[in-house]
Amino acid sequence: MNTYGDRGNILALQKRCEWRNIGVEIKRLNVGFNPKHLALCNLLFMGGAQDTQQMIVSRDFSTTNITLLKQLVETNTPGLYICGAYQFLGQYYKEANGNKIPGLGILDLHTEHPGENAERLIGNIIADSPLGKLVGFENHGGRTYISDKKLALGKVLKGFGNNGKDKTEGIKYKNSIGTYLHGPALPKNPKLADFLIQKALEKKYGKIKLKTLDDSLEQKAREAVLKDR
Amino acid sequence: MTQLPSILMGKTVSLVSRLSGRSGSTWPGHAALNLDPNFVKRISKKNPRLKIVLIAGTNGKTTTSKMISEILEKQGLKVFSNQEGANLLNGVASSLISHSNVLGKIKYDAAVFEIDENSLPIVLENAKPFAIILLNLFRDQLDRYGEVNIIAEKWQKALKDLPKETLLISNGDDPMLSYISTKSGLDSFHFGLPKDKAPNSKQTSDVDFLYCPNCSEKLEFENIIYSHLGKFKCPKCNFTNPLIYSFDTLPNPLLGEYNRYNINAAALLLTEGFGIGLDAIEKSLRDFTPAFGRQENIRYKNKNIFLMLSKNPASFNQSIEAVLSKEKFPSVLLVLNDRIPDGRDVSWIWDVNFEELAEKAKSITVSGDRTYDMALRLKYASSSKSQISNLKFQIKQNLEQAINGTISRLPSNKTLYILATYSAMLETRKILTGKSIL
Repeated sequence: MNTYGDRGNILALQKRCEWRNIGVEIKRLNVGFNPKHLALCNLLFMGGAQDTQQMIVSRDFSTTNITLLKQLVETNTPGLYICGAYQFLGQYYKEANGNKIPGLGILDLHTEHPGENAERLIGNIIADSPLGKLVGFENHGGRTYISDKKLALGKVLKGFGNNGKDKTEGIKYKNSIGTYLHGPALPKNPKLADFLIQKALEKKYGKIKLKTLDDSLEQKAREAVLKDR
Repeated sequence: MTQLPSILMGKTVSLVSRLSGRSGSTWPGHAALNLDPNFVKRISKKNPRLKIVLIAGTNGKTTTSKMISEILEKQGLKVFSNQEGANLLNGVASSLISHSNVLGKIKYDAAVFEIDENSLPIVLENAKPFAIILLNLFRDQLDRYGEVNIIAEKWQKALKDLPKETLLISNGDDPMLSYISTKSGLDSFHFGLPKDKAPNSKQTSDVDFLYCPNCSEKLEFENIIYSHLGKFKCPKCNFTNPLIYSFDTLPNPLLGEYNRYNINAAALLLTEGFGIGLDAIEKSLRDFTPAFGRQENIRYKNKNIFLMLSKNPASFNQSIEAVLSKEKFPSVLLVLNDRIPDGRDVSWIWDVNFEELAEKAKSITVSGDRTYDMALRLKYASSSKSQISNLKFQIKQNLEQAINGTISRLPSNKTLYILATYSAMLETRKILTGKSIL
């Protein structure tokens, strides 16, 4: 699944590893993928998708794959799940027409679309988090409610976040991050990218310290969103 | 005669806004529609001899519409079009007002309108078109349109309600548009590129329709021309390209193979809809000059500038390909804005393949409201294994300084290629020519 430049997240992870001489291999798990390949991964990424694409992926996810993914999440495998993927990992998605689509049930959250005439939540977003201010662009019709608000990835300073009401944005459960941030998320939030890389390496090799990179351009790009408040 | 007040009103508003120095491209139509919501419906009914051609699609509307209008005019027809950017219902209404007399009579043979993707359904409901061209459908301004699939669904619904004799010219290399047009029940013809002539490029990240619109199975592509355009087949339900027309003897007066689609769309309409011969089309095409900002050559401070509107992933990728086909080691200026006409969300630049350009370009300067987003994109496009060691791009947020700085370093026999989003293109053009168009 990839819309809204989500593949920029993959590029960010790849380059930030390469710049530190960390070897990376990217496996694309397309529809009909082999669960063995999923089991081998140290870091997971799933992007947003249009409704029809999401349906296709949803039908493809077998019970084996769901169990496996759940196990990976529970055993601290880091992962980034954006927008449609974030919703997909929850309990269910209630469509604008009231129809309920079950999610993978891996994260304790659910999403509801308030109806055809409800405004989409669109615009630049800033959220405060332990990883600093997160910046991005959100564009979603569904409103997500996380069961435990303490698990929110960040607190909304500008924009809508999960549902436009409770000021929460995203979720951080173990090392899995679910979020509505496009932009894409990782190039403009290098601390979030490095968090995922660090956790992936730690799970595989034990405690490590990542080499610091020059993020001055990243900082300038963040400012374009931050100063817009 | 119910029409009289709205026409007079429109004409008055047009005069007033012109006198007050406002560009009058949508105001008169807006006023007329306020007075009579059915204004467009009425005035098109009143002029049954006027052949209205609607052109919709993500990329190529302006170029295709200019080709069609010029060729029709060379055949002695009286033709008018809507003004640049006035492509909603009120823009169409304005154009109809300014070309009619006070009684609502339009003494023209054809009207060629380019229509915004989102507005096609409402325009179809109001103006009774003689023909519709669907050029392509790519992800674009998702903050405004939501999803590409939503647009496709709206188009499909809108086409179903048209009179069956409406001529539909659609892209037969686009899986979704092929599906929509063959299901529409209209008199439809498809343009495309022959597979033996077309480049066999690899799949890019700007694609939207890879799954069968009929049964959701993953499509098999025998050949990709660009983005999701190509020769496809569904392994499950056998859905495949319809019969395709391509006019390979016609010249391509523009840069880039992607313009062949615009040429074929125009030629198919002109032959099927207006009975114009290929010889005449060929002759007119030889003299064709691009619309402003679309592959436009501009002399500035004694240097050559080539300005290309590049507004979404598919269009940006095609611009880059065209630049690299013209020059091996080009000097390039990239201008990224995030105003309403550009789309507020700049995420899409990550769906553009900058890797080859970053490697080959002699120099790259970045500018615009979101300069640093573009700079960041280039940083992550560089093949360098070490971080920003020898980045060859310059960063200049101020557009005028960016242009002048780049120009001053440019050898006099070289061209500067400027790739800019919509509002950035208008701004660039104003700096280069000293006057604004809109």
